[in-house]
Amino acid sequence: MIEAYLIHLIILIGIYLILAISLQLAMGFSGLLNLGHIAFYCIGAYVSALLALNGFPFWLCFLAAGILAMIFGFLLSIPTNKLKGDYLALATLGFSFVVYAIALNWASLTRGPLGLPGIPKPVLFGISFSDNFSFLVLTLVIALISFLIIKKIVSSPFGKALEATRDDELATRVLGKNTFKLKSMALAISAFFAGVAGSLYAHYITFIDPSSFTLLQLIPVLCIVIIGGLASLKGTAIATIILVLLPEPLRFIGFPSSIVGPARQIIYALILLLILIYRPKGFFGKVELE
Amino acid sequence: MLKIKNLKAGYEEQEILHGVDLEVKAGEIVAIIGPNGSGKSTFLKSIFNLCDVFSGKIIFKDKNITRMPTHELIYEGISYVPQGRQVFSDLTVKENLEMGAFIMENHELLRRNIRDVFEKFPFLKEKQNDYAFTLSGGQQQMLAIARALMQNPELLLLDEPSLGLSPKMTKEVFDKIKAINKEGVSIIVVEQNAKKAVEIAHRTYIFEDGKVALSGGKEILKNKRIKNIYFGGR
Amino acid sequence: MITQLIVNGLIAGAIYALVASGFSLIYSTCKFVHFAHGAVIAFSAYFLYFLFSMLGLNFGFSVVLAIIFASILGYGMNLIYKQFRKRKTSSVILLIASFALLIFVESLILILFGADVKTIGYIKIARGLEVFGAIITPLQIAIILISLVLLFLLFFFMKKTKIGKAMRAVSDNKDVAEVVGISSEKIYGYSFIIGSAIAGIAAILVGLEQNLEPMMGTNLMIKGFTGAIIGGIGSVSGAILGSFLLGFVENFGIWFLPSGYKDAIAFIILFIFLLFKPKGILGIKRSVEKE
Repeated sequence: MIEAYLIHLIILIGIYLILAISLQLAMGFSGLLNLGHIAFYCIGAYVSALLALNGFPFWLCFLAAGILAMIFGFLLSIPTNKLKGDYLALATLGFSFVVYAIALNWASLTRGPLGLPGIPKPVLFGISFSDNFSFLVLTLVIALISFLIIKKIVSSPFGKALEATRDDELATRVLGKNTFKLKSMALAISAFFAGVAGSLYAHYITFIDPSSFTLLQLIPVLCIVIIGGLASLKGTAIATIILVLLPEPLRFIGFPSSIVGPARQIIYALILLLILIYRPKGFFGKVELE
Repeated sequence: MLKIKNLKAGYEEQEILHGVDLEVKAGEIVAIIGPNGSGKSTFLKSIFNLCDVFSGKIIFKDKNITRMPTHELIYEGISYVPQGRQVFSDLTVKENLEMGAFIMENHELLRRNIRDVFEKFPFLKEKQNDYAFTLSGGQQQMLAIARALMQNPELLLLDEPSLGLSPKMTKEVFDKIKAINKEGVSIIVVEQNAKKAVEIAHRTYIFEDGKVALSGGKEILKNKRIKNIYFGGR
Repeated sequence: MITQLIVNGLIAGAIYALVASGFSLIYSTCKFVHFAHGAVIAFSAYFLYFLFSMLGLNFGFSVVLAIIFASILGYGMNLIYKQFRKRKTSSVILLIASFALLIFVESLILILFGADVKTIGYIKIARGLEVFGAIITPLQIAIILISLVLLFLLFFFMKKTKIGKAMRAVSDNKDVAEVVGISSEKIYGYSFIIGSAIAGIAAILVGLEQNLEPMMGTNLMIKGFTGAIIGGIGSVSGAILGSFLLGFVENFGIWFLPSGYKDAIAFIILFIFLLFKPKGILGIKRSVEKE
């Protein structure tokens, strides 16, 4: 019993880690205030689910989820490239509202509010990952690979150029870097991993509906990114573990699950507020939110 | 009337004024000139509590007003016109003047002051229902000064009133400043346009690197040190 | 048919205008996006439900208390924002903080009242009247009238009263306002109190007309925000006009699209405006927007 619960938590940590480090790439390293991150998560989940429900093999669904999310990330970067600060945040948020509305209304594709049930568990290399432990292993492997890839990216010259763009876009442009291209690539890569996380989520829970992809889902991820500290992957990882585990004691105090859900959100919202007031750099952060 | 003793002021961690001593006698126009960055604007702001005063004393009519809150300073009789022809663009001329008298409770006094201001600045009466952004630069500067006059100040602080104005407008503004002074208002004028400021002033102070380098009457412009102060070197 | 669409557009526009005007008032003085405004609406509606439908208090009394509650809640949020202002944080951080507040309040509503839809049940059966070929209920007529009266009062307040002018002054040029002795902190407080009170009234009208559900704040806020953006953010009159425009576009839009897309219309309009015309099209601000 405990074992199943722990496995569930670690899977969540894995999925949130991918979501958080991808948002960190966009926000912390590139200075892109993308409040619409959940939209890519949503796109990835639906793409993966729909392909899987139509009989395509997992590896294809998984990759397609990342790639399609990435394409949308790139598309979003074009009109938002010149936006700054508030406007970028609000425009990306607007994007996530539009994606949500489409998921809710394009019923012929997504079954709208009814959602997509019965998403098959992954089958890779002939191995079926239908029990939670094997899914845990799959998730952790993917999370680890994602973490390493993103780590490689931020320590590469490309990553340095992104950070330079974040700090002073004009100066970076003057030095000859195509900051628009840099930012687009950053958003696209960030979206890719969010899409991958969405795919994992869909195949884990085996049921998705639009309500899993609202502003509510952004708050824990945003919390992790800011508390861990902007532009710190180490901080993001630690914050993910702490923040996913933090509200869990609520279950044991005896609250019914209808309360545990919103209570978790209250905890995240409070923590976010406190951190923003008292320590906006987070714990390992190198940069302030502009 | 105004005595400044060893004023050290600046912004948060940065000290801009490193010990300024200055005096304004009742009824005087005092000009403050000096190169960019010498602390002239910061000086006015420190009187009006718009920056951080680290140490020193500001005494007005024998009262210590160092770090006194802005609205209390207005009650004491000091008004401040910031740099840059700052008016409320989306309010009408009349509303701008009403805002000048915002802290006044007395409606009679308010109405009287508006009448006075309209006498002094007839074009403001003409344009009283026009939005402030429709005024020319020089007119906006006059409006900003008129707004300060709504507070019946005994001491008026003017920060670079000629900034961005044509020579003709500058002359008009300075003529007005002289006229206001004739009615008994003491004035401190901070200016980039050294010549014009010294012309109307009873006394002038020259700032350099956050301190008073020279002071004197109208003969000050002939002082050889001025070239060094403005253009560096010893 | 057309008249029905016009009537529906007016009703929706009236509600959005109430939401948008309060929000714009706050934005115009405080210069940041107070998204948690939606939470003030939601919580006030639920508070009315609590007083009237749960405790059984007199309806008029409950309404007054709900409006006061809205103002207090808004002012309380301002006190939280004040902590940020003391530390000179950017408007971006305030935006994120407002989201945190929104989620906090909505989650609180979920815990206190549950996720199921609630009805205030003051108006028993809505019998529609026929006006020029369109059906409209007395409540809906009331919504339009109350909105118009309230918005007119707000306009009058901003134009003629001392505090209203001081708000416009702070909105226009905070530094000069300080120099003439206007305390911007006090003005922020007033903005939140008045803006939230208007939100409270919107909450009551929406609560009576539709049902209560925990996410109602976010939805209304998005609509109001869209209206405010169309009209030019920071302009209260623009927000009002933009909201009515949105109400009409929504209702005429679903003539062509399935009705589920009604909300999507607002989202898409919002997204497009944020991308291409964040200063709005109505731009009631007479002078050039100072950034």
